[in-house]
Amino acid sequence: MTTLEVQNLFKRFPGAQHFAVNDVSFGLSDNEILALVGPSGCGKTTTLRLIAGLERPDAGLIRLSDRVVASETVFVPPEKRGMGMVFQDHALFPHLTVYENVAFGLRGKNQTEIRTTVGEILHMVGLLSYSKRYPHELSGGERQRVALARALAPRPVLVLMDEPFSSLDADLRAEVREHVRGILKSMRATVIFVTHDQDEALYMGDRLAVMQRGELEQIGTPEEIFHESNTRFVSEFMGDSDFLRGKVVSGGIQTEIGLLKQMVDLPASTPVEIALRADDVEFEIDGSGNSLIVGRFFRGAFNLYRLRLNSGQILHAFTDHTKIFEVGTRVQARVIAEHPLTVFSG
Amino acid sequence: MYTLGKARFFSFVLLLAMAVTACGGALATETAATSTVVTEAPVEVMDVSGDLVMYSGRSEALIQPVIDAFRAKYPEVNILLKAGSNSELANALIEEQANPQADVFITTEVFTIQSLSQQGIFESYMPKGADQLPAEFLGADNAWTGLTRRVRVIMYNRDLVSDDELPTSIFDLTDPKWRGQIAAAGSTNGGMQAQVAAMRQLLGDEATEDWLNGLIANEVTFFGGHTDVRKAVGAGEFKLGLVNHYYYHLQLAEGSDVGIIYPDQGEGQIGLLSNATSAAIVKGSQNLAAAQALLDFLVSVEGQKLFAELNYEYPLLPGVALKDGVQPLENFRLADVDVVQAALDFDATFDLLEKVGLP
Amino acid sequence: MDFGPRSAVCGLWSLNHPQPFYTSWRLARSSGQRLCYNSILMLNSVETTPPTTFSVRTIKNIAISPRLVIAAGLVALFVAIPLVYIFVRAFSAEPDAWSRLFQTRIWKLLGNTLLLVLAVTGGAVVTGVSMAWLTERTDLPGRKVFRWMLAMPLAIPAYIGGIVHLALLRPRGGIIPQVLERVFGQPIPTPSPIGFWGATFILTLFMFPYVYLLSGAAFRSLHASLEEASRVFGRTPLQTFFHVTLPALRPGLMAGALLVALDILAEYGTVALLRYETFSSAIFVQLSGRYDRSSASVLSGILVALAILILWGELRLQGRARFTQMESAWRPAPVIGLGKWRVPALLLAMGIVFASLIVPVAVLLVWSVQALLDPQTLAVIVRTGSQGFGSYVWNSLWSSGLAALIAVIFSLPVALLAVRYPNRFSRFVSRLCQVGYAIPGVVIALSLVLLVNRALPILYATPLVVVIAYVLRHMPQAVRASESALNQLSPSLEEASRTLGRTSLQTLVQVTLPLILPGLLAGGSLVFLTSLKELPATLLLRPPGFDTLAVRVWVWAGEGFYVPAAPAALLLVIASALPLSFLLRREQIFK
Repeated sequence: MTTLEVQNLFKRFPGAQHFAVNDVSFGLSDNEILALVGPSGCGKTTTLRLIAGLERPDAGLIRLSDRVVASETVFVPPEKRGMGMVFQDHALFPHLTVYENVAFGLRGKNQTEIRTTVGEILHMVGLLSYSKRYPHELSGGERQRVALARALAPRPVLVLMDEPFSSLDADLRAEVREHVRGILKSMRATVIFVTHDQDEALYMGDRLAVMQRGELEQIGTPEEIFHESNTRFVSEFMGDSDFLRGKVVSGGIQTEIGLLKQMVDLPASTPVEIALRADDVEFEIDGSGNSLIVGRFFRGAFNLYRLRLNSGQILHAFTDHTKIFEVGTRVQARVIAEHPLTVFSG
Repeated sequence: MYTLGKARFFSFVLLLAMAVTACGGALATETAATSTVVTEAPVEVMDVSGDLVMYSGRSEALIQPVIDAFRAKYPEVNILLKAGSNSELANALIEEQANPQADVFITTEVFTIQSLSQQGIFESYMPKGADQLPAEFLGADNAWTGLTRRVRVIMYNRDLVSDDELPTSIFDLTDPKWRGQIAAAGSTNGGMQAQVAAMRQLLGDEATEDWLNGLIANEVTFFGGHTDVRKAVGAGEFKLGLVNHYYYHLQLAEGSDVGIIYPDQGEGQIGLLSNATSAAIVKGSQNLAAAQALLDFLVSVEGQKLFAELNYEYPLLPGVALKDGVQPLENFRLADVDVVQAALDFDATFDLLEKVGLP
Repeated sequence: MDFGPRSAVCGLWSLNHPQPFYTSWRLARSSGQRLCYNSILMLNSVETTPPTTFSVRTIKNIAISPRLVIAAGLVALFVAIPLVYIFVRAFSAEPDAWSRLFQTRIWKLLGNTLLLVLAVTGGAVVTGVSMAWLTERTDLPGRKVFRWMLAMPLAIPAYIGGIVHLALLRPRGGIIPQVLERVFGQPIPTPSPIGFWGATFILTLFMFPYVYLLSGAAFRSLHASLEEASRVFGRTPLQTFFHVTLPALRPGLMAGALLVALDILAEYGTVALLRYETFSSAIFVQLSGRYDRSSASVLSGILVALAILILWGELRLQGRARFTQMESAWRPAPVIGLGKWRVPALLLAMGIVFASLIVPVAVLLVWSVQALLDPQTLAVIVRTGSQGFGSYVWNSLWSSGLAALIAVIFSLPVALLAVRYPNRFSRFVSRLCQVGYAIPGVVIALSLVLLVNRALPILYATPLVVVIAYVLRHMPQAVRASESALNQLSPSLEEASRTLGRTSLQTLVQVTLPLILPGLLAGGSLVFLTSLKELPATLLLRPPGFDTLAVRVWVWAGEGFYVPAAPAALLLVIASALPLSFLLRREQIFK
C-alpha cells in the first residue's frame, strides 16, 4: 500500500520570483525511508513542510493513506494529519521533562497506556533513565533522540525528519545516524528524511530523491542515483564528479586521455561529457604524460590527487596511502572504469 | 537556563495578587466609621446617610475640617471629595449634565457658581437660616447660597519691608521697585480669576490688561495656589503677596512675621475687592437629603463658626463672631461689583488671561 | 567608503571571520547592538534570529487564524480611537481658538518645550553614556555597586525628585539656603531648581538611567576584537571610543534618546512644580480653565503631532536594526585603566548617585520619620480627603495591577500577529499600539473625558477610566515586551506542537504562553511600574474619593505640605523599586 502520494505539487512564496516547489510528484511505500536531498534552497524542506501541513500548497495533491490531506479544495491542518516530525533544532519543549515531551502527542489515552508507550519508546532510544530530566540538561545527541522518540510515540503514519543531525558535531553524527536508522527500521516506520548531505542521504535512504531549484531531478535507489545519474546536476551533486570532454567515435568515446570503449547511442562526432569519479581514474609517472599533478590531499587511508590535463580540465584520482607523488609531477592518466560510466551529451 | 520554577512561582503570586486587587477594587470604597460623638448643636440631627459627592473649589486642606465636623454630626454620611479649581470642576459639571455625578458644589468665588446656575446646573434649595443672609449672596431662585466672605489684600514680610515703603494700591504692584519680589496665584486659581473679572467690570478690559501685563513685566511669580504664596512670603522668599485676607492670618498663626495691607482705600480708588465662597446642590443629585443637610450645616451657626474660627473668614450669617485679629469689613470701603453681570461675562475673563499669557 | 580606522577595523574583522566585506561591517556593528535591543525595560522590540534555528523563519501561513486578526484589530481600534478623537476635536475647533492660541502662546510654548527636550535629551545621553562607559569599560572602583545605584533612580518619579530638590534648594525658602544663611549670616546664592536650568537638571537626573542601561548593555556586548583592532592601528582610547565604540552604540543610543524625548514631551508634574511652562503643562492649565475644551484639543493635537514625529523616527531606527547570533567566540572587551582620572571619575559617579538617589531617599526617610512621630501630621496623613491612607495604597496597587494585566492580555494578539505573521498589516497594528508613547497623559485624559462621557456614560467617573488611561498610555511597553519574548521563541516549537496533534489555540495555551511567561511578566511589571507613578491623567480622570499615592503626594506637595507627603512618596518609591529590581535582575545585567 502506498502510504504517501504527492502529485504535481507547486508552492511559491509571496514576493518570490521562482517556485520553491515546482511540479514535484512522487510516491512513498510502507516502511520505506525516502531521503530528500539537494543543495540549500532546492525546496526539499518546503516540500516536507507542505506534506506536514505547515505550509499550504498553491496547487497539487497530497494523499496520505488514501486520504486527501491537501488539494485544491481540501486542506487538513497539521494536527489532524497524524504525522510525526523531527525538527532541525529538535524543538523540545523546554518547560516539560523528557517524559512529558514524549507523552505530549499521546493525548486521549489513559495513564497506564501512556506510561507504557513512553517507556517503550524511551527504552528504544536508550534514554529511559532520563525521563525526569529537562531538555537543557541533555546533550545535543540526546536531545535529538528524545525528539525522535516524541515523534514516534504516537505511532504516526508517516515520520518527517528535517535535517535532524545537522546541529550535531561531525563525529557524533555518524553514531547517531546509525542508531536512528536502526530504530526506524525496527519500528517499520515510513519516513521522509531531508538532508543536504549526500553521504547521509546515501546512508539513510532506501530511496533517494534529488531536488534542485524546486524540481525533482531524479528519484531512485542510492545505487541508481549514484551510478546512473539522469542529469549532470545529480551526478555532480551526489559526489565528487569530474566531467571529461569527449567526442563520440565508432569505437566509443574519444577523450584527451584515451579511447573509452563504451558504446553510446548518439551520432558520431557528438560532443559529450563523461562523469568520472576519483576511483575511475588512475595514473603513473610519465615525463611526457598528458597531465600534471596540481594538488595532493591526504585522506588517511588514501591519497586524492588533483590532475590537470593539458587542455586544462581537472580530474581526480585515488591512490593508496603508500604512494606519494609530489605536486608538479607529470603523469599519464587514464580511465579504468569497470562499470559503465554516465555520459551526458553537450 | 530556564528558571521556570521561579517564573512559575512569581507569575502565580502576581496573578493571584491581581485577581485579588481587581475584585477588591469593587470594594475599595471605605464605609464610614461610626463614631459616638454626641453633638450639642441645637440643629436637629436628621436621618441622612449614604455617599455624598462633593466638588470643592476650596483646597483640600481648607475644606477638610468642615468635612470632619459634618461627619462627626452625621456619621452615616460618607463624603467623597473631589478638590480642584473652580473652573475645572465647573467644566466637569457641565460635561456631566446629562449624567450628574456630584451632589454638592462648593466654590471660592461667586462668578463661577452664578454662571453655572444660569445654565441650569443646580437644584433650588434654600438652606435653613439662609433667609438671614444678605440678598446679594443668594442666587436667583435659591440656586446657590453664599457662605463666607473674603477680601483681596496684600500681605508682606515685615523683616524685608519697612512700614514706610508699603504699597497702598494693587496698581503699586507694577512698580519696578518691587521687581521679582512679588508672589501671586496664577490663572488657574479661582481667587485670581475673580479678581480679574471684578477689575474688568470696574475698570474696563484695557486697564485690566495693562495691569496684568505690568505684573508679568514686573516678574511676579505665579503659583498654583495661595498656600504656596503665603508660605513663600512667610519664609522671606518674596516681599509681597497678593492673597485672600485669611491667608495672612493663617501665616501669622504659624509664627511668621507678616503684615497685611488693605489696598485701594483712597478717594477715587476702586476699594477692596471682595468675593464670597458659595455652595449649591447639583441637579440630579443622588443623595438630596444629605446634600440639603450639608448646606444647612454650612449656613448654620455651627458651620459658620467653623469658617470663622478655623479659617479667619467673614461669615455671611449675621451674629457670628469674627476671630481675634480679623478686621471687621465695616472699617473698609468695598468695591461695588455686579455679580450677575460679571458672571455673564466670565468667559471674556479667561480670554484675557490667555491673551496676556498669565502662567 | 572611507579609508579611516573603520575600514581598518573591518579589514581585521574580516580576516577573523571570512565574509564579504559589507556583511562583515554590518556584523561588526550589529553585534554591539544585540543586547542594546534585547535589553532592559524592553524599550525596543527585537527582530532577531531565533537563537536555535539557522534561518529566519516565520510561520508563513498555517492559515492565519481569523480570530487572531480580529483580536489584534480590536485592540488596535481601542488604542486608536482616543488618538483619532483628539485630532477630530482639534480640527473641529473654531478657527478663533486656533488664531488666539497662535497669536499668544503657541510659539513660546513650542520653543520652551523643544528647548527642554533638547537639553534634557542631551544631558541624559552624555550622563548615561559616560556613566555606562565608566562602569562597564573602566576599572572604576566599586563598579558593581554603581551599576545598581545608577539604575535605581528609575524608581523615583521625577516629580518626587523635584519636590525634594525644591524643598532643599528653593531660593531663600529652601532648607539649604536657610542653613547657609544662618551659618554665614547672609544669603549665599545657591543653584536654583526653578525654571529652565532647574527643570533640565532634575529631569536629566531622573531620566538618564534609560540611556545608561541601554548603553551599558551595548558596551557589555561589544566584541573585544573591534577595539583591539583599533588600538593595534594606533588609536588612543579616546579615539577608539569615538570612532569605533560610539558608532556601534549609536542605534541603541538614538532609541534611548528618543524615548527620553517622548517622556519629556509628556512630562507634566515636574515642569509644573519647577514653574517651567511646556505644552503639557499648558494643556493641563487649559483643562482647568475654559468651559469648552477646544483650546486644550488644539494644543493636544499639536503636541501629539510632534510626538508622533519623534516616535516614527524611533520606530524606524528599531526596524532597521538586523542582528545575527552572538558570535560564539565572543570575548568581553578589556577593561581600560583610568589612572590619574580615577578619583575625578569616582567623584563624578558618586555625585550623580548622590543627587539622583541618595538625597531623595534620605530626605524622604527623614521627613517620613518626622511625620510619623508627630501625632498631628500623622492624623493628617491617615485621614485626609475622604478616605484613609490605606485606601490610597490600595487604589494605587489595584489600578496599576489591573492595568498591567489588561495591557499584557491585549498585547498578546498584537504581538502574535506581528511576530509570527509579519506583513504590512501586522506591523501597522503593532506600531499603532505603540502610539501610546506619543500621547502624553494629559492628552489621554482629555480624550477619554470627551469620549467616555459621550459614548460610555456608565464608565464615567469610575476608577475604570483611570485604568483605561493607564492601559492606553503604557500599552507600548507590554507590546514590546511580548514581541521581544515571542522573538526569543523558536517557531519550530509551535510547529512541533501542531504536528503532535494540538490545534493552534491549544498550542498557544500549552506551549507558547508558558514559555513566554517570564517576558510577559516583565512587560507587566513595567506597566505596573509606570502606572504607579502616573500623575496627570490620574489627576484629571479620578472620580471623587479615588486617590492614588501619586495623586496624594502631588496634592499635599502642591500645598507645600512636604512632610506629610513624604510617607506616601517613600511608599511609592519602594513600591516602584520592587518591580524594578525584578526587571533589572532578569536582564542579567548585573552578573
